Amino acid sequence: MKRLLKIYRMMLSQNIKALMEYRIDFIIGALSFMIDQAVGIGFIFIIFYQIPQLGGFTLDQIVFIYGFSLIPKGLDHMFTDNLWNVGYFIVQKGQFDKYLTRPISPLFHVIAEKFQIDAAGELIMGIVLVCISAGSAGVRFTWYNVLLFIVAVIFASMIYTAIKLGTAALAFRIKVSGQIIQVFYMTNEFAKYPAVIYGNVIKFIITYVVPFAFTGYYPCVYFMTGENPLFNIGGLVVISGLLTFIALIIWQTGLKAYESAGS
Amino acid sequence: MIEVDKLRKEFKKVEKDQGLLGSIKGLLRPKYEIIAAVDNVSFNVPEGEILGFIGPNGAGKSTVIKMLTGILTPTSGKCTINGRDPVADRKKYVKDIGVVFGQRTQLWWDLPLRETYGVLKEIYEVDDEAYKKKMSFLNEVLELDGFITSPVRTLSLGQRMRADIAASLLHSPKVLFLDEPTIGLDVVVKNNIRNAIQEINKTEHTTVILTTHDISDIELLCDRIVMIDKGKKVYDGSLEDMKIKYGVMREICFVPENSESFSDKSFKAGLDLSGEDLTIEKEHGKYRIRFNSDKISTKDMLSYTLANTEAKDISVGDADIEEIIRRLYKSGIK
Repeated sequence: MKRLLKIYRMMLSQNIKALMEYRIDFIIGALSFMIDQAVGIGFIFIIFYQIPQLGGFTLDQIVFIYGFSLIPKGLDHMFTDNLWNVGYFIVQKGQFDKYLTRPISPLFHVIAEKFQIDAAGELIMGIVLVCISAGSAGVRFTWYNVLLFIVAVIFASMIYTAIKLGTAALAFRIKVSGQIIQVFYMTNEFAKYPAVIYGNVIKFIITYVVPFAFTGYYPCVYFMTGENPLFNIGGLVVISGLLTFIALIIWQTGLKAYESAGS
Repeated sequence: MIEVDKLRKEFKKVEKDQGLLGSIKGLLRPKYEIIAAVDNVSFNVPEGEILGFIGPNGAGKSTVIKMLTGILTPTSGKCTINGRDPVADRKKYVKDIGVVFGQRTQLWWDLPLRETYGVLKEIYEVDDEAYKKKMSFLNEVLELDGFITSPVRTLSLGQRMRADIAASLLHSPKVLFLDEPTIGLDVVVKNNIRNAIQEINKTEHTTVILTTHDISDIELLCDRIVMIDKGKKVYDGSLEDMKIKYGVMREICFVPENSESFSDKSFKAGLDLSGEDLTIEKEHGKYRIRFNSDKISTKDMLSYTLANTEAKDISVGDADIEEIIRRLYKSGIK
């Protein structure tokens, strides 16, 4: 474990050094993320100028859900971005060979190799929105809630990672799975808003199939109202754990099916 | 040390009809075909040997190497290094091996070479003392000094290959796999790399398995060769044995006393040989006659030549290994 942390730290610093090799790209990337987030949040304020309430939630509560959902998304984006590349080209081009000939877990290796600094935009935006809206959204600050908040963020990030991992690992069998990751990942757009505003079908899907509702709406409902912690937080932990387990199995069996490429 | 036992790898190939329509048909109702890329290959490699693993393109060389390095899981059969299985015991297994794929790099693209070595040192748990010693040894044999601080993407192919070989040796592996280590390199770098391989083999008793299409690599480095074709092992033995067994083409070289006195046509006319069985080349006044020693013995050919021309400076040449391999690749071993 200590060794893994050390390797991670080294790869992280390599990443940051490599980042400095391409400064312009970094600045533009960070800028575009900021703009993207600003447009998203601006849109919410525009809507609320017209409609003071949405699905029974006030503007502050909507902003809290929106902000909260950005934190696990940003964390996953920051630390496991290389999974996209696994789905898009690492497996297809046979570049995965390298990870299999090293005496550390290939999954750890491939994840540690990329640190996505662009995600800082989402993280900062998420934290800022949560901080400014929490009080008026009805969140009670107790040490107990703070602990649950951290737990919720961790397990919600795992939902993102598990969905990316499971779909990326399909590449071992079908060579390229980037579009599949994309399809599943995009449903997280639904997580930014209260799930009650959607029809039953979508609500069911984002609760039990691609459970992004647990990365925003459900834990936020608990933090804002204190209602039903068993489902809102407990459900998150169970579903997230289950999903991670399934994703790891897909990954592990995928490794055996890996066919490399060419010579 | 390395034991390969009845190794087999099947790939499922989707049969597609031609064109876009065919692709769509294949998507809707795929027809699979099982192809054995490697079929029942067995061989052993003792410690300290340099084994040349050869075969035509697409013969299954890389597939075997990838199974031996734990990248691919065999369909059946097994391979072990010091009794360890690459699939079941991957982490320990790969610590004993070093791998270089000539066409791909394992170095960090954007960073100075030294940084890659630093990370690999941690990954392979090499202690400081051993690392220092190893680096100075590798520096010496592979001459890394000139570019160890340059970003990998700025290295030339020759530098990159040397850097990759060094990277695969940092943890003092017992076995080194080199997949086409001299591909695309100039003669000087090739020579440097061959010397390095020999040096490493000699000083550290590292077992080396290399695939190559360069005949000189084989002639200069390999104690033994294993040839595979269409997934099957077709030859296993020394280069010398191969020459004796399959080297049917011999050559006689001479310079005629009087160059006008010699004529290809009349020389050929006296012999009952045609096509590839007898070829005559002229180069700077020197004639090179290649003949099939199965059809005519070297002794007969020599006396025929001496009887028919006033030759000076005559020599009888051994079978040319490149020629043997070319013929074996083309027609297969019978």
